[in-house]
Amino acid sequence: MAYVVAVDIGGTFTDLVAYDHDTQKVIYTKSPTTYHNLVEGIIDCFDKGKITPADANFLNHGTTLVINALIQRRGAKTALVTSAGFRDVLEIARANRPDPFDLHYQRDEPLIPRELRFEVPERMNAAGEVIVPLDHTALETLAAELKRLEIEAIAVFFMNSYRDPDHELRAAETLRRLLPDVYITCSTELTREWYEYERCSTAAANAYVGPQVSNYIRRLESEFQSKGYDGPIFMMGSNGGLLSVSRTCRQPIGLVESGPIGGCIGAGAFAEALGIDNVVAFDMGGTTAKCALVEHGRFAVDSVYYADGYVKGFPIKSPVINIVEVGSGGGSILWLDDQKRIHVGPQSASSTPGPVCYRRGGTEPTVTDANLILGRLNAERFLGGELTLDPAGALKAMSEKIAGPLGYPGEQGAIEMAEGSLAIATVVMAGAIRRVSIEHGLDPRDFALFAYGGCGPLHAAAIARELSIPTVIIPPEPGNFSAIGMLLADARIDNAKTLTGLLDEQMVETMRHQYGTVEDEAQEALAREFGATEVFFQRHAEMRFRGQRHNIKVELTGLDNVDSIHEAFTRDYKRRYGFADSKAPCEIQVLMVSAFAKLRRPDIAHLPRRAGAGQAETTRPVYFKAAGGMVPTKVYDRGTLPAGFTAAGPAVIEEYGSTTVIGPKDRFEVGRMGEIRINCSGT
Amino acid sequence: MDTIRQQTKLDPITLEVLRYGVVSITDQIDANITRTAFSPYVYEYKDFAVGLVDVEGHLVAQSTGGMPPFVADSVGTAVRDGLKIYGRERLFEGDVVVCNHSTVQGQHLNNTVMYTPIYAGTGEKTLVGFFAINVHWIDIGGVVSGQTTDIFMEGLQLRSIKLWSKGEPIEEVYRIIENNTRLPVDLMGDISAQLAGCLLGRDLTIALANRYGVETFLSAIDIILDQSEAASRAAIRAMPDGVYEAETFLDNDTVTDVPVPIRCKITVAGDELTVDFSEIADEAAGNINSGYFGGGMTAARCAFKYLVMPREPANEGVYRPLKLILPEGKIISARPGSPMGGYPFPLPSVMDCVIHALERAVPDRVTGAHFGTHSGFMVHGRRADGSRFLGHDSGHGGWGAGSFHDGAGPFRTMAHGDTRLIPMELQESILPFRVDALELRADSGGAGKFRGGMGFRKKYVILAPCFLQTNVDRTKYPPWGVQGGKEAKPGRVTLYRTDGTTEIVSKVKNHKLVPGDIVVLETGGGGGWGKPEDRSLDAIRRDLTRGYITPEGAKLEYGVHITGDKISRV
Repeated sequence: MAYVVAVDIGGTFTDLVAYDHDTQKVIYTKSPTTYHNLVEGIIDCFDKGKITPADANFLNHGTTLVINALIQRRGAKTALVTSAGFRDVLEIARANRPDPFDLHYQRDEPLIPRELRFEVPERMNAAGEVIVPLDHTALETLAAELKRLEIEAIAVFFMNSYRDPDHELRAAETLRRLLPDVYITCSTELTREWYEYERCSTAAANAYVGPQVSNYIRRLESEFQSKGYDGPIFMMGSNGGLLSVSRTCRQPIGLVESGPIGGCIGAGAFAEALGIDNVVAFDMGGTTAKCALVEHGRFAVDSVYYADGYVKGFPIKSPVINIVEVGSGGGSILWLDDQKRIHVGPQSASSTPGPVCYRRGGTEPTVTDANLILGRLNAERFLGGELTLDPAGALKAMSEKIAGPLGYPGEQGAIEMAEGSLAIATVVMAGAIRRVSIEHGLDPRDFALFAYGGCGPLHAAAIARELSIPTVIIPPEPGNFSAIGMLLADARIDNAKTLTGLLDEQMVETMRHQYGTVEDEAQEALAREFGATEVFFQRHAEMRFRGQRHNIKVELTGLDNVDSIHEAFTRDYKRRYGFADSKAPCEIQVLMVSAFAKLRRPDIAHLPRRAGAGQAETTRPVYFKAAGGMVPTKVYDRGTLPAGFTAAGPAVIEEYGSTTVIGPKDRFEVGRMGEIRINCSGT
Repeated sequence: MDTIRQQTKLDPITLEVLRYGVVSITDQIDANITRTAFSPYVYEYKDFAVGLVDVEGHLVAQSTGGMPPFVADSVGTAVRDGLKIYGRERLFEGDVVVCNHSTVQGQHLNNTVMYTPIYAGTGEKTLVGFFAINVHWIDIGGVVSGQTTDIFMEGLQLRSIKLWSKGEPIEEVYRIIENNTRLPVDLMGDISAQLAGCLLGRDLTIALANRYGVETFLSAIDIILDQSEAASRAAIRAMPDGVYEAETFLDNDTVTDVPVPIRCKITVAGDELTVDFSEIADEAAGNINSGYFGGGMTAARCAFKYLVMPREPANEGVYRPLKLILPEGKIISARPGSPMGGYPFPLPSVMDCVIHALERAVPDRVTGAHFGTHSGFMVHGRRADGSRFLGHDSGHGGWGAGSFHDGAGPFRTMAHGDTRLIPMELQESILPFRVDALELRADSGGAGKFRGGMGFRKKYVILAPCFLQTNVDRTKYPPWGVQGGKEAKPGRVTLYRTDGTTEIVSKVKNHKLVPGDIVVLETGGGGGWGKPEDRSLDAIRRDLTRGYITPEGAKLEYGVHITGDKISRV
């Protein structure tokens, strides 16, 4: 046995997927996340799957450790060292108020309080020339002070270091020498782009989580070694690629959105295998729904991420897949405001007390309660029968809290309002997808909707109809899909560097040189960290017309002369703005390189599925507004449906951890990879 | 009246879907404009607003971001002027109208509303409203800098001019615009984005109205506005009846050195709130005037939204219970022809004043005054090679403390929203100065049970000859505290010359600077909330540890003894 294993540590559960290349055997297990020692939960998952780490030869690992530490403020005691005069850059931030009418608006406190922010004499100007030399004596005095304060981590940030990192690197080196037990990071080790606040904030975040992540990885490595594991350990990077543990220890912020990434990768790989160019990856769980666009197997990657959101959070300059989140999940609470207007979420009953129908003390009706009232969920077979749901309780709550006050009495009223609440949830989620498409200048109708997560398949067809998307795809094992996706990731390294100037022959020469240097470094790193022999590169640049203040990101892979680069820029510009002056000179602002190395992937076409457990086909009443109310509806056990099976809606397809709803005018078929394809274009 | 169902034929689900639908359309167009606009004013400062207005020109829905002064109803004002001029019968399907006229809009001429009528339905089509977008046009002619004394010096005025007629562009109007701007490429690019937004917004609204039926759509709009009105009235009813007044002053009107009084009287009676600006300053000789809608109405509505209805989406219904008394000829209701180039400068102070007046009515919701001035700071000149440079910077200051929190900031004013400061690394790469420090200004926040927010201190070292223009106001009338809280320190700009002399340059035009000069911009703080003697010693200790206050400040403002690490009250 030689399993490749992916483990995803989420807020509630730790998921494991193991795949044996030789036998194509797949194991899925799930265990509660063990906050006191995360490794324990992973070992539990191995135990449940009746395998041990010694049976594995590859481990990819996603975790919410970094984002949780940042948001819950459970990081190290961290100090910031800045150029003299600039310790408040971290606190002043960009001085904006994204919530315009909140008189009481406050940004989250800075990660490092003012009393732990220190200045040393040093300064470079915007050309990278030394104005004030780095004061080593001051640095040594400071090191003694930091030792006295029992500082665990230090972030070093100097003004204009993007032009020349020399002072930063030397300061970091001195501090590492004087304080060997302290975690030390400097801004230019993480990003070579300008804008002082963003770079400073990135360094602060990295230092803040550094000790915790390093300790965790060390513990994971040693426990796995002691259990006989001798393969490599990789981490799931927010950029959609694998990270080596050594890189993760240096750049833990590369894991900031580690959790939801796997699903996007899986959606991309599945779509590619199915020959579908463009999909919207839609992941709906208990508290939120997330969506991301995947074009030609590739997802948009943002170069900045806001921890705790744009409104109150802080930026991290680290490539992160563009994922949009809305506060609608199975646990989202349905409520009326003072004017009796219905709202869905964003408050969630989460897992405790959970929806009313869980019988755990929940009193407010939720999206899951509405689904149960409408007959879409099977009260007896929820999570394979692990939890028996309470339809009467759900109905009573819906009646008392929503339908009654609105003047819709009795069971019929509760059913109508349950359906209506889901209709509202549908337009809200469809709105989020529409918005992310518009922001990228795309039309959602050109995409297929790829739905997973526990609740995604329940709502996907309705959302697709709202967006006029003709096709919905539900992959096998939608509840475990994020972990499956992690097995399909490439190794990936992203680097960006500010380089500004007019696009001319000399600039192209400089670019060629700088791209080359960055690529050589990346190639060497991939060889060192992954043993990769074959490496692929993508080149991008942020560019603009001369005199403009805003950039667009242009792909420049394979282009190496002024004309072709200019043409690529004006083409993309035109696509976005509708027009472009093809003769106007343009400028380079930032160079970006993504380096990839392919690893051995499981063959997704042959991922076997769970066998059916129940009767192949039953019937129960399910409410569909389009069919005029409660109608007898076929209920299928997904495990019993063979490839090629096709039927018309209305229908409900049940499996462990998820339920798919097919509308009365929809058709579905089971595809060659076990996926359910719903055709929603019927009228 | 216990159910909506009995009031109307509309079920609550359809109503909710339509309510979400109209706001969602304006938000989608907002995202589209951010993506396609050409100039940074639009996509970086979000100096625009997207709205749907009804057939009478009343605001139904507006995008949720956007600058506060636009949120008051800048788009409806323009549509109502068009309706007055053309009547419904001459606003045809496919018409697109623009308006920036000072008498109508009452703001600087850059703010230009573009709108198109929305005809929906099958068979004979019905006018269901207008889709309108206000965008800050980057340049519309007029003088570049310096004092204007009437509106005609400030650029091209377009009063309800059709840019398109029945689906066809009017090329002459395009030509007029293109030839009256210094930045034709940028402006025409922004206008394309604005036009595309209007047309797409119109089409999405038609699709929504047709899907549910025009009658349902129109009755949903009525209910949406009525429900917002009811929410607004309920909030006012919860405030104690009474007459509440407040006053403050601007330092001057930029031409004469006479303080400018800002006064308001607010009457809360039952479920109505009346803002009376009769005693505010008369219109000024300087260009800091604004019109009735763009100035007075805007300030009253913004303050009302900040204090009373922050969460309710902006629409006409929310503002129905808000009444305005404002005679013509005041600084915020200037007569036709008055110069308005600096129209926004008084508005933060006017909003602050309205909030201050309501201190007794809602003591737990008001905050101390914010620093309240645009704190403009601009350097300009020519490089050695003859090319021009011009860099706008602006002071961000402290906001007032509230009943449950210290003041926040530094932020920009209440007339700004999601406006980000310009990175110093960018400034240093294109402008002839180096910044030697940017730090929080200790002791600048007003003392109180909750301390006001701090301003900052930014030190510029001048590297090449250039000119300085500054506009820091409220230096003589500092941001006040509330409920016993103390006032904050006001802002100022100090010039330290190479010969050792210093000069205060808080409000100067074309002030000559030479290499080696040092200019220090200090911005004001926010006022405190509650008595300083009620502030906990822990909070004072933390402020001292962090250097938010100095030991001297702590002794003076909070009356505490400090011996070593020990702090005690006298």
